[in-house]
Amino acid sequence: MSLQELLLMRHEWLLIAAVVALLLLELNFSEAKKTNVIPAAAIIFTIVTLIGFLPSENGRAFGGMFITDPIRTLMKNILNLGVLIVFLQSGSWLRTQNNFNRVTEFYLLIISSVIGVSYMISAGHLLMFYLGLELLTIPIAAAASYEQYKSKSAEAGIKLILSSAFSSAILLFGISMLYGTTGTLYFSDIKLAGELLTVLSFVFLFSGLAFKISIVPFHLWTADVYEGSPTSITSYLSVVSKGAAIFVLLIFFASVFGPLQEVWQQVVYGTAIFTMTIGNLFAIRQQNLKRFLAFSSIAQAGFILLGMVGGTPLGMATVIYFILIYVFSNLAAFGVVVAVEQVSGKINITDYNGLYNTNPRLSLTMMLALFSLAGIPPLAGFFGKFFLFTAAAESGFYTLLFIAVLNAVISLYYYLLVVKAMFINKSDAPIGYFQSDYSSRIAMSACVLGILTTGFYSPIFEFIKKLCLESF
Amino acid sequence: MATSAIIFYVVATIMIVFSLLAVTSRKILRAAVYLLFALAGTAGIYFMVDYYFLAAVQLIVYAGGIVVLIIFSILLTSHIEEKMEKPDSLKIILTAILGLGGTAVSLYVITNHLFTPQPTTGVEATMSTIGEKLLGYGAGGYVLPFEVISILLLAAMVGAIVVAKRNKPENHD
Repeated sequence: MSLQELLLMRHEWLLIAAVVALLLLELNFSEAKKTNVIPAAAIIFTIVTLIGFLPSENGRAFGGMFITDPIRTLMKNILNLGVLIVFLQSGSWLRTQNNFNRVTEFYLLIISSVIGVSYMISAGHLLMFYLGLELLTIPIAAAASYEQYKSKSAEAGIKLILSSAFSSAILLFGISMLYGTTGTLYFSDIKLAGELLTVLSFVFLFSGLAFKISIVPFHLWTADVYEGSPTSITSYLSVVSKGAAIFVLLIFFASVFGPLQEVWQQVVYGTAIFTMTIGNLFAIRQQNLKRFLAFSSIAQAGFILLGMVGGTPLGMATVIYFILIYVFSNLAAFGVVVAVEQVSGKINITDYNGLYNTNPRLSLTMMLALFSLAGIPPLAGFFGKFFLFTAAAESGFYTLLFIAVLNAVISLYYYLLVVKAMFINKSDAPIGYFQSDYSSRIAMSACVLGILTTGFYSPIFEFIKKLCLESF
Repeated sequence: MATSAIIFYVVATIMIVFSLLAVTSRKILRAAVYLLFALAGTAGIYFMVDYYFLAAVQLIVYAGGIVVLIIFSILLTSHIEEKMEKPDSLKIILTAILGLGGTAVSLYVITNHLFTPQPTTGVEATMSTIGEKLLGYGAGGYVLPFEVISILLLAAMVGAIVVAKRNKPENHD
């Protein structure tokens, strides 16, 4: 084991260093100055994110347990960016009376979870994958019940931990079947043939991951957990946790389950239709904006499956590209929800009536975010969805494409409902004018910038495509 | 029938029965005790296939440590006298169908699979090889997961603090 090999785990080392630094800060700040951790954590994580973007080397460490290459580094960087935005948006919420004495714990939990994400993406061994998945979920379950003075938050924590324990059990059963057929847990040594047992093990493994991505029919926990959790945790769950699971699914499809393509294509095909349709139909009925965004994120997961179904490197590239855009769009929407909830405590769509008259910039941000999620040109979301549809069309899945386009139209309807509430509906008592804090304004501006430019600046997609063609 | 086969079936029956009792019992303390027997049965299976180390770990950590921990936390937090509500019969029937169906599919697939026996000669699971593998960093070494688990434990402890730390009593909703 050389230093060179250890340095391959740069992302993970940085995150662990951030955890240690935050622990030391927590010890050294007096009770009254605990809120100083908030800017410190933002600065630390900005540094972590920036160093992550430096060029890195390819390689394997620990006998193949840890794999890193440009595509995995890119995945980690996208998710780090999402976490940074979540951190910037959560400052004012953490400063409130109820939370300020547990500020550091919030950051520790999220960063530990990100360590799990990194190890999971870089896993070259099923045990590492499983540990990463647990490290991703367990801290977040605690963070979901962060506002224990609200019974809904406690409920969200319990629901998340129970459903994830259930999905982990299914996943472990799948892994043990895989081990039983192949006799190894290293990705590189697993050579699958199309026996029934490997198919069943794939189904179980897929179900376990589908819980995390909240693919229908494994989505039942999503709305309740998203509604009950603190909004910052909800945005983490819907962007980072979901994105990480999708990335891992991509890696699995390209490596371990590559030989089973005919099987997983059918599974992805079926679940994509259900996920899009059910996510959309339920989203129409929601009044609570967090539940609304929960179902919208389920529907988005369905569109993402569209890019995977062909199993081509181009499809994989469109998925990664779409997630990059999804990070910006969804976090912009959540940023507005967090800001409004912080000031007024209101969370229903009808509460947003007349928001444009009092808070025009916030409304414009929300509108851009929702239009990008709906896929309206010229915003980035349009290009993301368009590329996903192209990937499915190139592989000849025209029926699926037709259903997806129908669903895109439905989704446009309910995204516009929110826009209509903000811009057209009149309200007797609209939410008054307010100014959110500095850091969340930076975060929202970054998201808006991302929404406006990611689509037009084509080198981004070309770069992702090049990496995917090299590694898948 | 060979003695080992008889022992296997006895242990397996104990495991199945107690596992079922653990999840169907309506008193939480009883469920924890039933779980103890299910875990001890697993250790018995490990002994039968010559995984002595794993069997010892199973007994010490799971049957010894974790069940005691579970019982402690039950005694500390809940009312042991309380009986769980009886779920309505539709739910029971649906879960039973689902459970039995899943079992049937898994059993069918596993019993119809032609497992290739792995040669175990030459691999002796002595304490020293287990120790070397656990802390080895080459192929087949497990030091990385070992260390990642420590991060997981740290995160779990912080999580426990977040869940347990009480705030000032005002601001109830």
